Amino acid sequence: MSKSSVAKPKVAFFDFASCEGCQLTVVDSLQTHLDLLDAVEIVNFREAATLNGWDFDIAFVEGSITRPHDEERLKRIREQAKILVALGACADTACVNALKNLQPPDEVRRYVYGEHADWYETYAARPLSAVVKVDAVIPGCPIDQEEFVEVVKALLVGKKPPIPDYPVCVECKLKGNVCMFHIGKVCLGPVTRAGCGAICPTYGDGCEGCRGIIPHPNENAMEEVLDEAGLTLDDIMHRFTMFNAYREVETGKW
Amino acid sequence: MRLRVLPKGQVPDLVRALMADYRVWGPKAKGPQFAFEPLYDPAEMRLDYNISILSPKVALQPPQERVAVFRMDGGFTVEPVVEAEPTVIFGMHTCDLHALALLDRAFSADFPDAHYTERRQQALIVSIECLQPCDEHSFCKSMGTWTADSGYDLHLIDLGDAYAVYVGTEAGEALLAKYAPQARPAADAEVRRLNEVMSAKWPRFPHRLNFDAAELPALLATAYDHPIWTELGDRCLSCGSCTNVCPTCYCFNVIDSPELSLKEAVRLRRWDSCQLDEFARVASGENFREARAARQRHRMFRKGKWLYERFGELGCVGCGRCIRACLTHINIVDTFNAIHASQHRR
Ligand code: SF4
Ligand code: SF4
Ligand code: SF4
Ligand code: SF4
Ligand code: SF4
Repeated sequence: MSKSSVAKPKVAFFDFASCEGCQLTVVDSLQTHLDLLDAVEIVNFREAATLNGWDFDIAFVEGSITRPHDEERLKRIREQAKILVALGACADTACVNALKNLQPPDEVRRYVYGEHADWYETYAARPLSAVVKVDAVIPGCPIDQEEFVEVVKALLVGKKPPIPDYPVCVECKLKGNVCMFHIGKVCLGPVTRAGCGAICPTYGDGCEGCRGIIPHPNENAMEEVLDEAGLTLDDIMHRFTMFNAYREVETGKW
Repeated sequence: MRLRVLPKGQVPDLVRALMADYRVWGPKAKGPQFAFEPLYDPAEMRLDYNISILSPKVALQPPQERVAVFRMDGGFTVEPVVEAEPTVIFGMHTCDLHALALLDRAFSADFPDAHYTERRQQALIVSIECLQPCDEHSFCKSMGTWTADSGYDLHLIDLGDAYAVYVGTEAGEALLAKYAPQARPAADAEVRRLNEVMSAKWPRFPHRLNFDAAELPALLATAYDHPIWTELGDRCLSCGSCTNVCPTCYCFNVIDSPELSLKEAVRLRRWDSCQLDEFARVASGENFREARAARQRHRMFRKGKWLYERFGELGCVGCGRCIRACLTHINIVDTFNAIHASQHRR
């Protein structure tokens, strides 16, 4: 069967406020999974190629929305894309970009842009889903290569991407790890979305929550666990702030 | 039952000899805790371990395995995959032996599971008697699993400088003859020593259940609407750790993963947990165990009632792993005791 006999889905990559690390992970995936390039046609990928086509089926969008005119561009992408995927934590949860949401916006702008602060119209960082409908997310800071490939496969066969809604503890236990709490460390695994293979506890560090919070966390129970580990309510908020500040500001909880 | 004696110094030779012909799993140190893993050097094995993080069922029902390969390139073929190899599980404690007997029943009932069964048939079990409780959470004495007189091929009891070895099966006898020819029949003095060791063991183990475990099914039959489930549900993180560490839990999920070419796919199965939010969601979209309280009740009922009704054995062997693993201190013994106390106050 010749490869051209099946129309390959056209794929585009875009970015907003982010470090572009997730797109770099995509570039790595293209090198470790050569069949990715057989499965799709990439038409726009500033990070990796001089392609800027606007005729695409699937858009992978990295980054948070931080300016009104980001919204226009994102909406144009949305109009064109049959499937829009939030690529990475910045796009999914606003990640570390949302740290600034905890400060007065004018101060933040002045701190970053100094005397030219007025030239830049920025606002509180937000995930893509605060602006447009998002069809799928690939969580993580950065994304997990294997998970990216699994999501592409699912999209190719028209299935819901297999993003876990259970916590990191599940993967951690399946690996047979010693629990961080049993060796005096703190871990956000019980309320953080799995999918990373519990990589941090596997290498001896508590989870920091980079993949965002699971859909129905038991907040009181988690606070009790952290309280027992010696954290004050302030400490607890700070722990979650790094990767989940947007949620914190929106919900008033961690 | 035949009894042999094996000097301790010869255990590493035995393990090394086994490693040539079998995949040998044994308890190894993992940080301050222990884990059953394949041994690559007999010196890694820690028969003095207290308890393993996951039960040794990992050798027979791995957390994730391939069960089939589909080929869709010009036609459609399905090829079952059974990953099994000659295996020795060395150093299993008796609570886990009892759990293994239950898994054997679960995986052979109705539709025998080819994957588990094949691994089980190729596995030899060398267990070891605990002479003291592994820690404050074990309640094997209450569950009658603190010792065993079957379920193993060989069973070791520490006599100090040697192990008494009970031979449980012909396969165990053959294993000893081939790999530990130094094992010899027990002398009278060694039998006396064995009796002393076992008599000294009994009083070291406390009963933690405040009633006879045989009453559990009947007790739970009165407790479906007990307020304790709401209380546990309020504390539960739905993290699944309690079931993932449990030696008698066997639920799994099936996941199909296609290759990018879409010409081939593998079917994987992976441990699943009744404590997770989505466990009981069915194709219609409905989740028939949405509340954490209902999921906690489900777990406790399986352990204390439902598996007994199905297989004639309680679903809990008292290893205490779920209690150690639970970060919010949900405790199956306390739960059963609390229900017992409240039903007897009336
Ligand atoms: S180390 Fe973290 S993720 Fe692992 S079981 Fe403990 S709390 Fe859960
Ligand atoms: S363990 Fe936690 S912090 Fe580490 S990668 Fe996974 S989700 Fe992120
Ligand atoms: S380990 Fe504890 S918190 Fe986690 S699911 Fe089990 S009972 Fe709930
Ligand atoms: S329910 Fe808990 S104590 Fe009982 S066998 Fe399972 S892990 Fe062990
Ligand atoms: S629960 Fe009992 S049999 Fe099991 S490891 Fe602990 S002491 Fe040994």
